[in-house]
Amino acid sequence: MTTKGVTEEMDSKENEKPMLILKDIHKFYGSNEVLKGVSLEVRRGELVTFVGPSGCGKTTLLRLIGGFTDISSGDIILDGQRINDLPPNLRDTRICFQNYALFPHMTVAENVGYGLKINKWPKDKIAARVRELLEMVELEAFGDRMIDKLSGGQQQRVAFARALSLEPKVLLLDEPLSNLDANLRLVMREEIRKLQERLHITTVFVTHDQFEAMAISDRLVVMKDGLIEQVGTPIEIYERPANEFIAAFVGYVNFMDGRVESIDPATKNTVIRTEFGKLEIALEQDDIQTGDDVLMVIRPESVSLSIDCGSNRQNVLCGTLKTYMYAGSIAKCTVGIGAKKMIVDQYNPRDAQQFQNADRVEVEIPRSVHLLKKKI
Amino acid sequence: MAAAELSVKLQSSSGSKVKDFLNANLINILAAFLFLLLAFFLLYPIIMVLIKSFQGPSGFTLQYYQAFFSKNYYYQSLYNTLLLGVINTVVCLVIGFCLAYMTTRGPWILRKPLKIISLVPLIAPPYLFALSLIILFGRNGLVTRMFDLHWELYGFSGVVISQTLAFIPLAYMMIESTLMSLNPNLEESAYDMGASEATILRTITIPLLAPGLLKAALLIFVMTIAEFGNAAILGGRTPFLAPDTYTMITGESDFNMGSVLSVVLIAPCILIFFIHNYLLEGKKFTTIGGKPVASEPRKITPLIKVPFVIITTVAAGAIFVCFAVVFVASFYKILGVTHDIVLSNYLDFTSNQAIYNSIRVSFVAAIIGAVIGVLLAYVIVRGKFFGRTFIEMVSLSGFALPGTVLGIGYLLAFSAPPLKLTGGIMILALNCVFRFLAVGVEAGISKLHQIHIEIEEASADLGASFLTTFHKIVLPIMFPAFIAGFIYTFMTAIVSLSAVVFLVSPGFDLAAVKIFDAAVYGEIGIASATTMKLVLIVMICMMILNYISSKTRLGSSMKKTVAV
Ligand SMILES: Nc1ncnc2c1ncn2[C@@H]1O[C@H](COP(=O)(O)OP(=O)(O)O)[C@@H](O)[C@H]1O
Ligand SMILES: [Mg+2]
Repeated sequence: MTTKGVTEEMDSKENEKPMLILKDIHKFYGSNEVLKGVSLEVRRGELVTFVGPSGCGKTTLLRLIGGFTDISSGDIILDGQRINDLPPNLRDTRICFQNYALFPHMTVAENVGYGLKINKWPKDKIAARVRELLEMVELEAFGDRMIDKLSGGQQQRVAFARALSLEPKVLLLDEPLSNLDANLRLVMREEIRKLQERLHITTVFVTHDQFEAMAISDRLVVMKDGLIEQVGTPIEIYERPANEFIAAFVGYVNFMDGRVESIDPATKNTVIRTEFGKLEIALEQDDIQTGDDVLMVIRPESVSLSIDCGSNRQNVLCGTLKTYMYAGSIAKCTVGIGAKKMIVDQYNPRDAQQFQNADRVEVEIPRSVHLLKKKI
Repeated sequence: MAAAELSVKLQSSSGSKVKDFLNANLINILAAFLFLLLAFFLLYPIIMVLIKSFQGPSGFTLQYYQAFFSKNYYYQSLYNTLLLGVINTVVCLVIGFCLAYMTTRGPWILRKPLKIISLVPLIAPPYLFALSLIILFGRNGLVTRMFDLHWELYGFSGVVISQTLAFIPLAYMMIESTLMSLNPNLEESAYDMGASEATILRTITIPLLAPGLLKAALLIFVMTIAEFGNAAILGGRTPFLAPDTYTMITGESDFNMGSVLSVVLIAPCILIFFIHNYLLEGKKFTTIGGKPVASEPRKITPLIKVPFVIITTVAAGAIFVCFAVVFVASFYKILGVTHDIVLSNYLDFTSNQAIYNSIRVSFVAAIIGAVIGVLLAYVIVRGKFFGRTFIEMVSLSGFALPGTVLGIGYLLAFSAPPLKLTGGIMILALNCVFRFLAVGVEAGISKLHQIHIEIEEASADLGASFLTTFHKIVLPIMFPAFIAGFIYTFMTAIVSLSAVVFLVSPGFDLAAVKIFDAAVYGEIGIASATTMKLVLIVMICMMILNYISSKTRLGSSMKKTVAV
C-alpha cells in the first residue's frame, strides 16, 4: 500500500522498474481522436510534466490514468500491474483537479481526512495523519476553517495535502497553479517540487506553461495534437529541441536558414553558409552531415550585441537597431539584418544609455548553436 | 454600436438635471401605478377572502373557524391535503432525482430520451393524468375491463398517482439544474480517493444538493396541495381542501366557509414562501474556477443502477402511456365501451367554442401580462424607491398562491362595485394575468441585467426624455422578454383550471373547465379530444418559446422559470 519507507529498502533492480508505463494509448471522443498513440515510462520518484498548448489532450491523458475515462486502445501499467479496467476507486493513483475540487461542505481537516475515512482508518489515526499533513503544507492552524474562507493558495495546499493523504503510487496534477496569481505561482511551484522530492512521490504534472514545466520537472513531455513531440530533461528540450514547434514552444527563438559547407572531423568546427555570409559553429550533434540544409536555432539571450559596425570578426553580423526596450535587468532589442529581424535579449544591460541612441549595431552569433535538419 | 457612440458624447453634455428629475420621478410614478395594480388585483382579493372568513352576519366572528376545527370532515380534508403534499413531494423528489441523476451522470445514449420524456408532461394540462387514469382504471376503464381488476381509482391513491405524474417535470427540472451546476470533479475526487458510488451519493452529492432539494421540495409541496383538477376529478369521497372549497362555493354558496378553507390552504403556502425566500437566501455552496461541464458517464454500480433504471423506466413509461391513452381515447366516443373510430369529438361544437373562448381569454391575459411584466421588471431593476423588494416579492408570489384562493378572492372582490367584472371575459383574463405574472417579470429582469445602465444614462444625458429612452433603448432590448412573457402567460392561462373554474359564467365555457366537466360526467371522448387540442396549442407555444430563447439567448434563468 505505502511506498514511503518501503522504497528505501527496495533492491536496485526493483527500483529501476518504472512506476507507470503508458503503452500506445489512443483515445477517441466519438470520431475525434484526442490521443493518437502516447507511450511513456515514468520512473519511480520522478516528476514528469506533460506540456503543450491548450487542447492537445493533457487533461484527457490524466483522466485516463486516473480511470475517469475509458481508453480506446493501449495499456496503462501501474507498478507492474495492468490497470486498464480498474475503476478510479481501486487505482492507487490520486488526481488533483485544476479547480481543486475541494468539498465545500466540509472543513479543511475533513477534506484532508476524507480519503482516510473512506478507507476506514480509525479516528485517532485519521486525526494524527491530518495534523501531520496540515503541518506539511503549513496549514496547521486552519483545520476547522471552511473551504471558502481560504485564499487560493491555501486551497491549493489543502488539495495537495488531501491528494497525498493516502500516499498514492502516482500523483496526477492538472494545471495545479493556473488559478493562482503570478507571484504565488512561483512560490507554490517551488513548494510542490520540494515536497515531491522529499516524499519521493512519482508525479505526473500537466501544464500549458512551458517555463513552469521547465522549472519543476525531471523530464518534460512536449505534446501537440494528441501526439508526443519530444521527451527529455528541461535542458535537452531547451537546448536541443527536436523540431521547430518545440524550439518555438519552449522559449523565444530566431531561426536562420543555412547549408552545412564543411565539418572538421577532428574539432567538429562547422561552417554554415547563410544569406548573411558564413558562420562558424562548434557542432554538438551527430545527425548533421556536410551538404545538409539546416535551420539554426538561435536563442535571443545567446546573441551578444555591441555598438559600431565594421569589425571583421567571425560570426558577427551588422544590422540596424529597430527597437530597444530597457526593462532594468533585461533589455529586449530587435535588430534588422537585411530583410530579417533578430530578437536579442541583453541581460544586465550596463551600457543601455549608449544603445538607446544607437543606430548601427553588431550582433555576434554564438558558436554553440543547435541545428535542425530540414526535411526534404 | 449605439452605446459606444452615446458614451463618447457623455462628457460633453450637461443634461444631468433633466435626467435626475426624470429618473427620480417618472419611474416612481410608474412604480406607484404598478403597485396600485398589484394591490388591487392581487392583494385586495386575498384580503377579501381573509375578511370574509371572519365576517358573520353581525360583524367579526370566529364561528366559521370554530366550525372548521370542530368538524371531523374538515380535519380529514386538511389531513388528506397535507398528507398528499408530503407523499407527493417525496415521491416526486425521488423520481426527479433518479431521472436527473441518469440524465446527468448516466450513459450518453439514455440522457437525451430520458430528458425528453421527463419534460413531456410540461405540454399537458395537469389533469391529463387524471383523465388517462380514468380511461385506464375507471369503472369502464380499459384495464378494469380487460383484467377484471377492481382497484378503486377514485380516492387518495388515484390522486397521488396523477399528481405525481403531473409534477415530475417540475421536480426533474429543479433537481437537474442543481445537479448540472455541481462540479463533476467533486464526485470524481471522492471516487478517486476510494469512495464507492453509494458513498459518493451519501457523502458528496446529496449533501451538496440539499439546499436545491429543499427548495424543490417546498415548491412542489405548495403546488401539489394547491392543485385542484386531479383532486377534484379523482378525489371521489376523499375530501381535499381545494375541491372542497369549490363545492362549498358552487354547491352550497357558503362564501364564509369557502373563505375559511382558503385561508387554511393558503397558510402553509405563505409560510413556505417565506421560508423559501429567507432561509435559503445565499445558502449555496460555491467553488472556485472551472466552467460547468457535463459529467462523463460513470460506471454506475448495479446496486444503484438497477433501482434507478427501474424507477426511471416506470415513470417514463407511465408518462408515455398516459399521453398515448388520451390520444387514442380522443377518437372514440368512450374508449373501451364504443368501438367505432370517430372524429366527432374533435368537431364537437361546445368543445370548439370553449377552445375559442380560452384562446381569447388567454390572448388578452398574455398581452396585459407581458406589458405589466416588462414594466414591473423595469421598475424593480432600475428603481431606487422604498419598497422595491416588496413589489418584487408580491409580483413573484402569484404562482405560490393556490388558484382556488385567487378564484374566490376575485368572486368576492369584483362581483360588486366599485369594480364589477363578473360575467365578462376581463375577470378571467385579469385573474390569469396576476396569477402568472412571475415569469414575465423574471424574463424581464434577466434581460434587463444585460443592459448597462450607462446606455440609458448616456441617452438621458444627450437630452432624451425618460420616455424616449425607454421607447428607443429599453423597449427594443426588452422585446424578447416581452414575447417570452406573452407566450408563457398564454400557454399557462390556457390550461389553468383552479381559479377560472369559479369565474366562468354559464354559457361561456373555457376549455379547461369543459375538460373538467366532461371528465367528471364521463364524456371521455370529448374530454380527451379537447385535451389534445390544448396539448397541441401548448406544444406550438413551446416551440416558439424555444426558438426565441435560442435566437436571443434569453438565458437559462428564463427556461427555469418557465418550468415553474
Ligand atoms: N468529454 C469530452 N467529450 C468530447 N471531447 C472532449 C472531451 N474532453 C475533452 N475533449 C476534447 O479533447 C481535446 C483535448 O482536450 P483536453 O484533454 O482537455 O486538452 P488540454 O487539457 O490539453 O487542454 C479537446 O479538443 C477537447 O475538445
Ligand atoms: Mg486541461
